[in-house]
Amino acid sequence: MLRVTKLRYGFPIGLLLFFYLDGILGAAFPRQLFSAPYAMSSYLVVLWLVLSVFFEDELQIPLTVWAAIAGGFFDVYYTGIWGIFVFVFPIVVALTRACYKAFPINFLSGLLVYFIDITVICTLSYFGNLVVHMTSASFADMLVDSLAPTLAYNLAAYVILYFPVQWLFNRLRN
Amino acid sequence: MNKFFSNRRLVIVIVCLIVSFGLMSVSVAIRNKRSTPPLVQQFGNDVVGLVNRVVAWPVSGLKGSVTGFSDLMNTYQENQRLKGQVQELAQTKVHDQAVNQENQKLKKELKLNHSLTDYSPVTANVIARTPSAWQNQVIIDKGEAAGVKKNMPVLSGSGIVGRVSEVNRTNSKVELLSNSSESANRFAVTITTKSGKTVNGILSGYNHDKNLIEMGNVTSKTKIQKGDKVATSGLGGVMPAGLFVGKVASTGTDNYGLASKISIKPATNISELSVVTVAVRQAQTTN
Repeated sequence: MLRVTKLRYGFPIGLLLFFYLDGILGAAFPRQLFSAPYAMSSYLVVLWLVLSVFFEDELQIPLTVWAAIAGGFFDVYYTGIWGIFVFVFPIVVALTRACYKAFPINFLSGLLVYFIDITVICTLSYFGNLVVHMTSASFADMLVDSLAPTLAYNLAAYVILYFPVQWLFNRLRN
Repeated sequence: MNKFFSNRRLVIVIVCLIVSFGLMSVSVAIRNKRSTPPLVQQFGNDVVGLVNRVVAWPVSGLKGSVTGFSDLMNTYQENQRLKGQVQELAQTKVHDQAVNQENQKLKKELKLNHSLTDYSPVTANVIARTPSAWQNQVIIDKGEAAGVKKNMPVLSGSGIVGRVSEVNRTNSKVELLSNSSESANRFAVTITTKSGKTVNGILSGYNHDKNLIEMGNVTSKTKIQKGDKVATSGLGGVMPAGLFVGKVASTGTDNYGLASKISIKPATNISELSVVTVAVRQAQTTN
C-alpha cells in the first residue's frame, strides 16, 4: 500500500530530517538543552516513528525495520557504541503498536503513549550505558537530571508537531 | 502475560539481549583499544556526516541571524570593555613575538626541531552533539584526512575542552571534559604556583553540580593557591605542553584525607561550542 502514495518518499525523508535535527539542535542550542547538570536529549526521530504508527492507518509501513535502521545509525553516528538504540527503537515502535491496539488514539492518549515511550528509551539507554561503564550516575540522578528534562522537551515537541505531522500525512496519502 | 511470553517470543527476546550486550561490549573494546573504528563504521559515519552538513546549514543560518541581532544590542558595552583589553593585548603580543623569535634562534643553536609546546592547529566546526545525557560528546567536521588522530586535545576559546575519541575520514567525535565515563578525562597537567613552583598531576573527573574539573591524587607538599594556572604538561600520548586548562578554584583533601584534591574552573564554557581547534602535536608521539 505504501508504494502507491507519496509517503514512500515522504516517510524516509521525514525520518532522515528528524534524525539529523536531533544532533543539530543539540549543537545549535547547547545552552538551552545541555545546561549542566541537566541534559535534555532530543528524540525527534522517535517522535516521527511514533506519529507514523498513529497516522499510517491501513498503509502498513514496515516501521520496526525502519526503527532498527534509524537506531543503528543513531548508535554509530551519535554515540559510537553499537547495540543500544538499534534495539530500543524497535521495542518502542512495538510498544506503541500494542498501545494503539489497546485503546483509541487521539491527541491526549497519544501524549501518554509518547510519555511511556520516552521513559522506556531513557531508562534502557541508561542501563545500557551503565553496563558498559560509560556512566557512573546513580538511578536517582538519572531521574532528576536526565529523564525529567528529556520528558519535558520531547512532550513539548509532541504537542507542537502532532497536528503539523498529521496534516502532512493526510496530504502525502492523497 | 502467558500469551506475550510464548516460547518463540522468549527465544527472540533472549537472543536480542545477548546480541545487544555482545555488540555493546565489542564496540566499547574497539573504542578503547584501536585508533580508528572498523572500516564499515567509518564509511557509514562519513556518509551520514556528509548529509549532516547539508541539513545543519539552514539551522545554523537561522541561529546565526538570531544571535546576530542580540549581539548587535550588546555591541556598545562590549566595545567599551574590549577597548581596555586590546591595549594590554597589543603589548603582550609584541613581547610574545620577541620571545618566540628568541626561542626559535636558541632552538636552532641547540639543533632542536620540535619541542613539546609546538603544535599546529586544525580548525573544525561542530556539526552535531550526541543527544544523550551519558556522553557529553560533539561531532566535528574534520577527520583523519585533516591529520586528526585519536586522543588529540581539542581547544575552544582560551582553553582545552576535550579530546578526540573517534576518528573517521572526514569527521570525528570529541569527548568533552565534562564526560563522566571511566575512560575520559585523563589529561596530564601541571599547576604553576605564584612562587614559580610546579605541581604535576592528572585530571580525574568532573563535578557536574559546580561545573568544576577535579584533579585528585596530588601528594606534593607545594602550597597551591586559588587562581594558580593549570596547563597541560605534555607528558605521554599526543598532547602538546602548555595548553591552558583553567584556574584553581579551591583546594582540599580527598575522602581519605591523604592526598589533596584540587578543583579547577575551566577556561572556557565547555557546553557551548561552535568552532573548535584540534591541536596536532609536532614533536614525536609516544603511543
